[in-house]
Amino acid sequence: MKQETKRISVLKIVIYIFFCFMTALYLVPLLWVFSVSFKTNAEIFSSPFSLPKSLFVDNYVVAWTAGKLGIATWNSFLVCVITLLLSMLVGSMIAFAIARMQWKMSKLVLTYFMLGMMIPVHCVLIPLFTRFAKLGLSNNLWGLVLPYLTFSLPVTIYIMTGFFRSIPSELLEAACIDGCSIYKIFFQVCLPLAKTGLFVTGLMTFVANWNELLLAMVFISDDNIKTLPVSLSKFVGPYNTNYSQMFAAIIIAIIPTIAVYCAFSNQIVDGLTAGAVKG
Amino acid sequence: MNKLLQDKKAICIFIVPGLLLFTFVLFIPICQSIYYSLCNYDALTPPKFIGFTNYKNLLRDDTMKIALKNSMFFLIFSCVTQLIMGLLLAGLLTNIKKGRNFFKNVIYLPCVLSSAALGLLWMFIFSPKLGINQLLQARGIPGPLWLMDTKGFITLPMWVIGFVALWQYVGQSMMLYMAQISGISKTLYEASEIDGCSKAKSFRYITLPLIKPMVGTAMSLNAIGSLKFFDLIFNMTEGGPNHTTEVLATHLYTQGFKYFKYGYASAIGVILLVLCLIMTGLINTVFKTDQYEN
Repeated sequence: MKQETKRISVLKIVIYIFFCFMTALYLVPLLWVFSVSFKTNAEIFSSPFSLPKSLFVDNYVVAWTAGKLGIATWNSFLVCVITLLLSMLVGSMIAFAIARMQWKMSKLVLTYFMLGMMIPVHCVLIPLFTRFAKLGLSNNLWGLVLPYLTFSLPVTIYIMTGFFRSIPSELLEAACIDGCSIYKIFFQVCLPLAKTGLFVTGLMTFVANWNELLLAMVFISDDNIKTLPVSLSKFVGPYNTNYSQMFAAIIIAIIPTIAVYCAFSNQIVDGLTAGAVKG
Repeated sequence: MNKLLQDKKAICIFIVPGLLLFTFVLFIPICQSIYYSLCNYDALTPPKFIGFTNYKNLLRDDTMKIALKNSMFFLIFSCVTQLIMGLLLAGLLTNIKKGRNFFKNVIYLPCVLSSAALGLLWMFIFSPKLGINQLLQARGIPGPLWLMDTKGFITLPMWVIGFVALWQYVGQSMMLYMAQISGISKTLYEASEIDGCSKAKSFRYITLPLIKPMVGTAMSLNAIGSLKFFDLIFNMTEGGPNHTTEVLATHLYTQGFKYFKYGYASAIGVILLVLCLIMTGLINTVFKTDQYEN
């Protein structure tokens, strides 16, 4: 028995060493970029791995203003928030109708939306691009909101359907007896009860769209409407040798998501998994 | 009550906005894309039907062969490594208590970060003069050209990018497996312990069979994700040097939006779509199992 516990504790130590190594593998690159972003170009080559001698904030100032990352951050924020709100509203309306209301085609409509999960955005890129150019939606943030919204709908509908199905029908009956209309039941009874679902789907939509590169790169060519990932890849071109500014740009791009992640990490991780597990 | 829930007008109001959006932004464009792939179509001329010429040209296109090879490499590499690493991490993490949350959150972190930014970050780490090569140089070892080597069937840059993709997305597989493992009833493990099972054996005979459905889910997510793979490659190598790291998505982007060959790029898109559907179908049939009682 004593030997048994000894063996287990050795195993535990090995596991912990392994995970400390993994943590280093994940955090060191991020921390390295963070420290390098405060150095001057010369310092990067002379002493790449030491802490910066002084906080050289100019990198950030240049990236934010001349690199237009400030505008890009605002654009990204605008697009993501509009998409987030719309996808919550539209997605949960459909999910409610599918989960709770009684009509013949509901299964078929659900399948139709679920097919969207398997479709890569690349196959609709060219038709959308030519159509949006005709409609004046290219170089326009609404031209991004529409496809982002569409591609976030399947997941939103999927997760919200699960949440609406779990609401006990007695609650709906009670609301009905109290004389609520169907819209009131949806907005004032069901939506508040599915708050967790809204939070999860909202986060998933926000994260996915904040990081989206391909669509934004194709649809937007005006520097003042570009979103963050696009500005970043243009700003950090292969011929640009001002490394320290690029590092500052990378940090600007990932700091908002890191901040959100640190604040809600447990909810995000659990929520995203809950969403995926139901899938 | 039922009358309220069968209200046709309300159903229409709930359904129609999303349905319209989905049809116009997704369904019709896919049909258009299939049609364009059979057309000679560029930025200047309207589409003109030419049958399967685009697909025939694709067969002769050397870059397409490289792209297809790399995409397949990516698909297999990421499915296999994510399965192994994801299971390993999940299996080990469920065995420790202290710090489990911390390690879980750290490993999941890159999944929510922008792959465009992470691609740049790793590009610098693997660049000829900075990062790893600086470390190697300090010890007098000449570092390889991580992202510019062109030798071999699967070139070194593809392995590097594969590693970065694994680094970024393994958290997701890990989380899926962990969720499934924590759903397995403790009594099963207790019973196996009484029967004299070792930890490894109970992992093999209890955990593995019970998480088989989740392996299917995680794998199809991986497969579709790796076929769609674009951001990391675009920022790390842009398909270069000399197209050796091109994948389907980057090839489509170059043909469609650098050379404006819309018809040709649509054909690549259709192939991508078909591959996605085949892979999902394949994985679902392989991993389709009866649900066990948990």
